[in-house]
Formats: sequence, C-alpha cells, structure tokens
Amino acid sequence: MTSTTETAAVATQPRRSRLLGTEVILIAISVIAFVVLTVTTGGNLLQPGTIRAILQYLAVPLVIGLSQMVVLAVGQMNLSVGVLTGLSSVVAAGLMVDSGLSPWIAVPAALLVGAGVGLANGVLVVLTRINGFIVTLATMTIIAGLRYGVNGTGTYEGYSPGLVKLGRASVLGLPVVFLIALVVAIAVALYFRNTFSGRRLLASGGNPVAARLSGISNDRSLVVAHTISGLLAGIAGVLVLMLSGSVNASIGDDLLLPSFAAPIIGGVVLAGGVVSVLGTCLAAFVVRLVDVAQAQYNINPRWVDLVVGGVVLGAVLLSHGREGKDDS
Amino acid sequence: MRLRAQGLVKMFPGVRALDGVNLDLRPGTVHALLGENGAGKSTLIKVLTGVHRPDAGVVEVSEDDATWAPVTFGKPQDATAAGIGVVHQERNLVPRFSVAENIALQSMPRRHGVVDKSAMRALASRCLQQLDLHLDLNRPVAELSVAQMQLVEVAKALATDSRVLLLDEPTSTLTSQEADRLYAVVRRLRDDGACVVLVTHKLDEVFAIADTVTVLRDGRSVAEGRALSELSRSDVIDLMVGRSFADLQPDPTPPKDRSGIAALELAHVSTSVGHEDVSLTVHPGEIVGLYGLVGAGRSELARALLGLDDITSGSVLIRGQEARIRSVADALHRYGMGYVSENRKEEGVFLEQPVTRNVAVTVWRRLSAWGMVRDRSESVLLDTYVDRLGIRISGHKQLAGQLSGGNQQKISLAKWLAADCSILVIDEPTVGIDVRTKASFHTLIAELAAKGLAILLITSDLPEMVTLADRILVMHDRQLAGEVDNVAHDYAASSRQVVRYMHAEHVA
Amino acid sequence: MGEATLTSAPAAPPQEDSTTPSGLPWWANPRVGLLVVIVALVILFSALRPSFLNVDLTLVPMQADLSVFAIVGLAQLAVLSLGHMNLAVPRMAAVSAFAAGLTYDRLHAPLVVGLAVALVVGALIGALAGTIITTTGVNSFVVTLALDFGLLGLVSLLYAWATDGVAFAVHPAGMDALRFDTMNNYCAGPVCGPPVPLVVPIALVTVVAVGVLFRRSRVGREMLMTGSSLRAARLSGIPVTRRIIQAHALSGLLCGLAGFLLAINNGAFSATIGDQFLLPSFLAPVLGGTLLAGGAVSVLGTVLGATLTSVIQKGLNLLQFQLDQLQILIGVVLLLALSLDRVRHVLAERRGVRR
Repeated sequence: MTSTTETAAVATQPRRSRLLGTEVILIAISVIAFVVLTVTTGGNLLQPGTIRAILQYLAVPLVIGLSQMVVLAVGQMNLSVGVLTGLSSVVAAGLMVDSGLSPWIAVPAALLVGAGVGLANGVLVVLTRINGFIVTLATMTIIAGLRYGVNGTGTYEGYSPGLVKLGRASVLGLPVVFLIALVVAIAVALYFRNTFSGRRLLASGGNPVAARLSGISNDRSLVVAHTISGLLAGIAGVLVLMLSGSVNASIGDDLLLPSFAAPIIGGVVLAGGVVSVLGTCLAAFVVRLVDVAQAQYNINPRWVDLVVGGVVLGAVLLSHGREGKDDS
Repeated sequence: MRLRAQGLVKMFPGVRALDGVNLDLRPGTVHALLGENGAGKSTLIKVLTGVHRPDAGVVEVSEDDATWAPVTFGKPQDATAAGIGVVHQERNLVPRFSVAENIALQSMPRRHGVVDKSAMRALASRCLQQLDLHLDLNRPVAELSVAQMQLVEVAKALATDSRVLLLDEPTSTLTSQEADRLYAVVRRLRDDGACVVLVTHKLDEVFAIADTVTVLRDGRSVAEGRALSELSRSDVIDLMVGRSFADLQPDPTPPKDRSGIAALELAHVSTSVGHEDVSLTVHPGEIVGLYGLVGAGRSELARALLGLDDITSGSVLIRGQEARIRSVADALHRYGMGYVSENRKEEGVFLEQPVTRNVAVTVWRRLSAWGMVRDRSESVLLDTYVDRLGIRISGHKQLAGQLSGGNQQKISLAKWLAADCSILVIDEPTVGIDVRTKASFHTLIAELAAKGLAILLITSDLPEMVTLADRILVMHDRQLAGEVDNVAHDYAASSRQVVRYMHAEHVA
Repeated sequence: MGEATLTSAPAAPPQEDSTTPSGLPWWANPRVGLLVVIVALVILFSALRPSFLNVDLTLVPMQADLSVFAIVGLAQLAVLSLGHMNLAVPRMAAVSAFAAGLTYDRLHAPLVVGLAVALVVGALIGALAGTIITTTGVNSFVVTLALDFGLLGLVSLLYAWATDGVAFAVHPAGMDALRFDTMNNYCAGPVCGPPVPLVVPIALVTVVAVGVLFRRSRVGREMLMTGSSLRAARLSGIPVTRRIIQAHALSGLLCGLAGFLLAINNGAFSATIGDQFLLPSFLAPVLGGTLLAGGAVSVLGTVLGATLTSVIQKGLNLLQFQLDQLQILIGVVLLLALSLDRVRHVLAERRGVRR
C-alpha cells in the first residue's frame, strides 16, 4: 500500500485486460473441465443429483472466498475467516439446541457474531496500526478457542429441522444454499460496483494517499472491509448449519487456505484496490470440480490438495506474471 | 474570497520547516509561490490544505476584506469545504477508477449510498468542459498519458468549486503545448475571480502568467505578495537564493588529458530499451555530462550499462578491456564502477537501516573475515566519510531515513567511494537538495574528478551541468545528438549549443 | 552510541539523538518486556502449583517443547528478514521428517545421517520456494500457500506409499536416548550434568548460529538489506536473487530441523508432524518484536517469544485449563504484547521529542 502512485499507475495499466483475461480463462477452464468430467464419467455428472451435490457444496467455499476478497480489496488479509465460520455456526446451533431459541433468532445471532468479530478485527487494526495479518492471526487463535468454549468437543444435532430441510431443498433444480451464495455474490458485486461505500474501499485499496486527500477515511475503509468480511463468514457459518445437520467446534479449520485460493486464482491481487467477484466465484467452482473429479474417479483425496496447490500457482503465474516483481 | 495567513510555523523533529510565513491571496490573481527546494513550499501547501496542522500562526478568509473569519484545518476535507483546491505534485488518482469517478471522488453524487453515475458523469463533464478538454469519461485513468492525468487532477480540484486553487509544479511533466493549454485555463479561472496559486521552478512561466509573488527562503517569507511587474528576473533569483547570482558562475577549468586509455568506453551500443548506436568515452579525471529531456533515455542508458537492461549490440570497454556486466554486483566487484541513483529514497539509501550499514554495504566483502563483518571496521569506515563529505549524523546507529535529503545523498555517494570505484555514474545528484548543500556537492564532484575518477554525470539541471561537466553529450530520443565542449563553463554559450542539439531535428 | 568517535563530525545536531528509534530508552525494548512477563508468569505458576518447578514433570518436557518451537519460529524469521512469509513451514517440516524416517526405515542409517537428510530435503524445498519467487516475481505468500497445498497432498501420499499410512515403525539407535535422556544421565565421576534434555544443545547451537548469521555475517546482513529495500539492495551490488533463495533455503532447513526434533520428542516419524507449526512460527518472532516488513529481525526475541508461549502452555496445563482456553489466552497475550509495544513506542518517541 506504500508504492508511489506513479508506479501503481504504470503497473495497473495492463492489469485491467489481464483481469478480464483471468475471468475468460477461468470460464474456459470451467467449461472444459466440466465437459471432460462429464464425458469421462459417462454422463454421470449430468444427473440431477450429482449437479445438485456439486452446487450444494460450492456454497460455503464461494462465500468464504468472497469474505477473504473483501479484505484483500483494501490490501489486508483476514486469517480468522475459517474459525469465524465455525464459531458462528456453533453459536447458532447452541442457541437453538441449548437455549431452545427459534432459528429466526439464532440465524441473525450468527450473522451478528460474524460481523461483530469482523468489526473488532477492523478496530484493532486501526487502533494498533499493526499489520492486519498479525492482528487476525491473534484473533484467529482466540476465536479458535472460543469455538470450543460453546460446547467443548461435543456435537450439536437435531436443531431446527426446518432449517436443515431448507438446506437440502431445491428451487428449479438449484439447491437453496447455492442460491443464497449466489445472492450474496451478486450483492457483493453490486456493493463494489455501485455503492459509495464500496467505491471508497476500492479507492483506499487502490491509492490510499489519493483517497485520503479526497476526504476518504482509510481507517474507516479498513473497519468496513473487516466488518463485511466477518459478516460473510457469519453467512458461511449459517450455510454450514443448513447443509450438515450437525455441527461441532472443528468446523472451519480447513477453510482458511481455500479462502485465499479462490480470490487469488480469480485474479484479485494482494496489494489491494482490485476485486473480481466473478473471478472468485469461477475459481471456487474450478476448485470444486477438482473435488468432484476426486470423488468420481475414487482418487486418494489427498491428491486434491496437490492439484489445488498446482492450480493456485499456475493461475498466479499465468495471470499475475510480472506483478509484484519489485516488491515480492 | 480572500485568504491570508500570518506567522505560520510548522516544526518537524529537528527542523523548522516553516518559520514565520505570511501569505495574502487575493481573488482574481495568479499568485506565484517560489523558493528553492527545501525552502518550505511543500510544507506550506500541506498546511493550507489541512494535511499538516501548523504549530503557530493563523489562516483567515474574508469575503469583503473587512471581516475575517479564522479557518482551522484538521483534515483535507476542511480545506475543500473552505473552498481551497489543490493539485498535488504526486499523482493523486486511483488508477483503476474511471476519469469521471476520479474527478467526482471528493463530492461523489449519491442517492441512499448508491453512486449516482449519471450525476457523476455530468459533474465530471462540466469540469472537463471548463478546461476545454475532451476525454472519455469511462476510461480508467491508468490508461491516460501523464499529461492527461495532470489535467484530470485539475478537473478534480474544480469539482469542489474551489475559489483558491493551488497548483504544485503543474507543468513539470507537460510538453510546452500542454502547458500553454493549462495556463489558458488558469487565466480563465483568474478572470472568473478565483485565486490561482502557482508553485513552480520555471521562472519563464512565472513571468508569463503570474501577477504577484511570494518567495520563501529557509522557511520564512522574504517577499510577500509583491507585484511581479516591479521585479526583474534576477531580483527574484536573488530573493530565492539569498545572494548574488554572479557567485554561481564557476571559473574555466583546463582541458582534461584524454590521450590515455579511456576508463569507460561505449562503442556503438544498442539496448533492449531502444538506444541505438551510442558511443562515448570517459577518461580518468573527466566529468562527462549526459543531458537531455526527461524521457530521452539517459538514466535508461546508465541502467543498461549496469546490467539492469540488456545491451543488444556494440561493446562496453572498461580501461580498454571488453566488459560483460550483468548486474551492479558485476560492475562493482569486477570493474570498479558505481552508480549513484536518481531515486534516492527508493534506490540510493536504505531508509530503515543505520548509516553504518548504508555506507558499508558495498564493502562487506572487504571488511569481513570468514564471512563475518566487524562492527568496528564499519564505524571507522563511516567516520572517514563523515569527515570527508561533511555528513551530518547524530550517531552511528542513526537511521538513514532520519537524515536530510542532502545527507542521504552523501551517504548514497559514500558507499561507492568506500568501494574504491574508479568510474562513477552519477544520476541527478542534487534533486530536492537545498542551495547550499548543492554547492558543496558540486565542489565534491569536481574534487573527485580531480583525484582521477572518471565520472559520467546525468542531470536535468542545466546550470549544474554547465558548472560541472568538461564535455556535455546531448541525448535525444535515445541517440546522441551532439557534443558540447564545456571547459569554459560559460553558461550562455554552452546552454545555447545544448538546446540546439536537443532540438536537432529543427536544425537539420 | 559512540559519540566519542564522532567529534570530527561538524556540528551534529544533538537534539536529534533522542528521536532515533535506536535511541529509545531500554524499557521500550520489547525483549525486556517479554523477559519481565516470563519471569512474572514463572513466579505466579510456581506459587499456584509448586509442581511447576518439578524437573521431570514440567521443566524437562518444557525445554524439549521450547527447543522445537524456537526453531520453528526461526524458520519463519529467516524469511521475515526479507519481508517474505513462509506458509509452508508445516509441510516443509513434514516432508523433511518423512525423508529422515524413510532413510532410517529403508537404509537403516545411523541417527545423524537421517538428520542430515532432513536438513538437506528441507533446504532444497525452501530453495525451490525461493527460486519460484525470484523467477516469477509472485508474492511469497501466494507461492508458499500453493506449495503448502501441494506438499500437504504429497505428505499423505508418501506416507501411504512407504508406511501403513500413519507413521514409520522404525526406531533408529540413539533416538530414545535423545528423547528421554538429559545431561543429568551423563556423569563424569560424581559430577553429573544439569537436567537439560539432549535436544536443547542442538537448538541452542542453532539459535546462536542464526543469531550470528543475521548480526555478524555478510550474507545475513545482505538478506536484511534486501528485505529493507529490494531495489536499493540490487543497486548496491547485493546479489539479491541469491540472497532471497538462500533465506528461503535456510527457512526450509530450519523446518527440517524442527520436524526432526519433534519426531524425536514424539518418538515417531509420523504424518502429523508439523501440523501445529504455522501459528507458533509467526507467534514467536512477532512476540519477540520482529515485524513483517522485513529488514530487521530479533533472534533473541524469537527465543523469548517461544519461551513465553511454552511457559503459558505448561502453566495453564498444570492449572487444568483446557486447550481452548489456552488458545484464547495466547491470542490475548499476543494482542496485548503488540498493543503494549505500540504504546511503548509512541510514549518513548513523544518523550524523546519533548526533551
């Protein structure tokens, strides 16, 4: 965030077309991979059940990727997204099971937990002036502990049958959870595209000096970005709740690294000022296809990580190319 | 609206950047703000635009010259609200945002938090019309030329209905046609009753367009709102420099001995960054100047010479031997060649490292035994150059970033002297350095040459070039356009010839 | 600050002295604060639970843990010096430990050979990461993130191929001695050594070596200069590409050592080695005052940071705190330490300016 405006301007010049290129490449990869998978599995992929499963389990990675993307937009990172998702879902489940509250209270409570922790992250970053990576590293540790504080290592199940049923329901052949994720993605896209608040975040990320001189508070942008990131993690927590039917404190442990994978593959740069909702969503889809391939071919699940690692690196090499050569 | 400031004081640790500045800005005038680098101009602008809070003094505005209302600036928006707009020297645009959005950023039209894009475009196009400028409102500014960005910045300042408009070095990156266009706009704004404050180094422009002038020297205002019609050019220079201009004329130097083997020779060199068939020689004891417009390819040639860009054909000879330089490390350790970068803060010094390490970085190989460096020998080395170059530091562990620009530049030079370089490429040595330090730098460079170093000097400062160089090579569009013999150091004669070569295509 | 040698400097402004960070008062040094906190906690814990000072129950295992986590912290510190990050610390350790285990299992090699193999494998992976970063110019965060993904898959595939899927069953000669013995077991006549586990000297030598590297050696200093400003370093004749690769190789090597030591402490070369390394790798250097910007590191601070986390862990364990409460406390300590560090800095600077 400290590079001079001039170098930033020079560096960005080709970036626009490159970002577009990333999205086009991702669409091509998605289509090709899908077709190849369909053909090699003898059309198995096209069965309604399979498609539904693919989309159902795309919802959480997609929202988590967006959650990370929002903070990357202001040049920050949020290491607490994964554990925060877990905390939100456990809190909501606890409210329903232990306190007997209705989902109409528990779900907003989960969202509130997410946004609240995000707000705390943002305020801490602004107050301490410490790198967001370290601040969220600390809050990640705290939240990881808090998650267990709710119900220890126990599992909550049998909460709100309605919510779980909704989680498995479909509208026009599309799973409800996926539709929710889609609505969230569209909302995030509109937020960054049209609202003054969203534009302010991008201005702060793109050129903090110019933003400040234009009367935009970069501190406020940081707080807003972290709060939205937390809120999205809360939404992901609710989606987990709807999808699984039982939750425990280990949820979210394996979400952190994928949360970076989606936006990075999708062409979002770590330096800030750039978002691509479409790219992030497509990247989450591509990663999901790797999972599907593993399941379809009965491959050792560990190959998935290997391939995702390769895809992250490959995507970055393809699209970012020279970016950051001087400040890597 | 008339704006005046009285007794402004702004202190930074160890420096009084402003030390009692008065300013009187009347509507319907173009007011020039002049001063050497380091005189306090940038600080004054930052105080007037709410970036810095003054430690003492008042800023007041008045509509009728009778009742004065004090204004306090806590943040940039306060200045905007008070009707003060500014075009900063640094590009302050968001590269990925469109032209329209950048112009409207400070006063974004919106409804219920949603940006009203048609109102935004209307506002932007109104501002662009005021400048008689036709730009695609939807283009990201990153795709614009530097001059276009500059004009977008002016449009941005207009968008907030500024009645006092500060332009900080607005033409430094513009061609003369573009500058003329900008000044036409300035005149129009003045005739509409605005006060335009012009901060520039170009005295020609000042005399062409400004009505009144305030001159800053060492943080004080030495001329306050005087009419330019009463002043001559040399009066203004005297005010800025504080002594007679004649002192700056150096004596002629004897011609250098060029019979031996050249320390550095480029023979028909072409580079991957566009230079073609460049040939030059620098002999020991000689200062060869490389002059040209920004973008003529001077620094780029230096960088290719150091292996940062590729030399595609031709040869580089060092002391008569063909040299293959692939990195600065090669240049330093194998050929004894050093490069004092034009970009002091990012390439010249390590701002967050102690001064000892900044000087010793090039000679750690020599100072170490078994790969370990002795702190003692670093300190001794530093003391040597503190003495020799007159570097002002408060201790060995002081960080380079805490030194003044001139002292940083001396540190940046010291590391190459420490490495016993016999060839030095010095790029823009005195940018942003005050007059006195500048003079001491000139003496220093001349002394180095007298001791037998071969120096290739790159500078955009023509008086500096004429003062120092024995020969001036003029570069135009990545080719050498001509050579000026400068042993007489006669400013009038040399500069005339240099300028003629710079516009070689008109001569031919 | 060596003013005596500066008498030749013409009129150095004396008032600037106190504003330099190097001129900050001693109490603004985060290491001092850490030491105070560690001592206070040790006193507190031993007052609450006298068994905290029990040699066999607490002190010996704590030293063994501490040794591992200090090395893990140094592994991260090696690249923090450049302003880089290494998110693949866990998996670099895991792959190195696998390589050592395989050497023992298939070649029946002596203990020290396996250690050498672990170090070499770690250094090679680190060098690979450094090479990718320098040749592509992609951010180290992204590269090591991708590498971690890749190695994560690789590790379980490797264990599935070479073992029953979980761990090597082999026990090389000397492993148990390294695991269970302390210097107390070795006597010269009536005089026996202190109750210090045998892994501690290994860690200590490493700490000193890394400390000397960054403080005294040309290579280490050039790494720091590279971290301070890549462009200035390149233009000062520092071979920056080589230094970046070397720093990452050093990070990998230290990961290898940490993986090996953990395997010794656990008594098995297993697939889960390194799983818990990522957080402590950042925790120790950051607590010790190393920031992410690059250009400055504190080896001593890293050791103190690792010590603090180990003391908290053992103490709360004795007080029968649960793992989750422990995590919360460590997170809070980290936040407090960082905020206090900030406050101290602001206070000290303000004091300096006023003087």
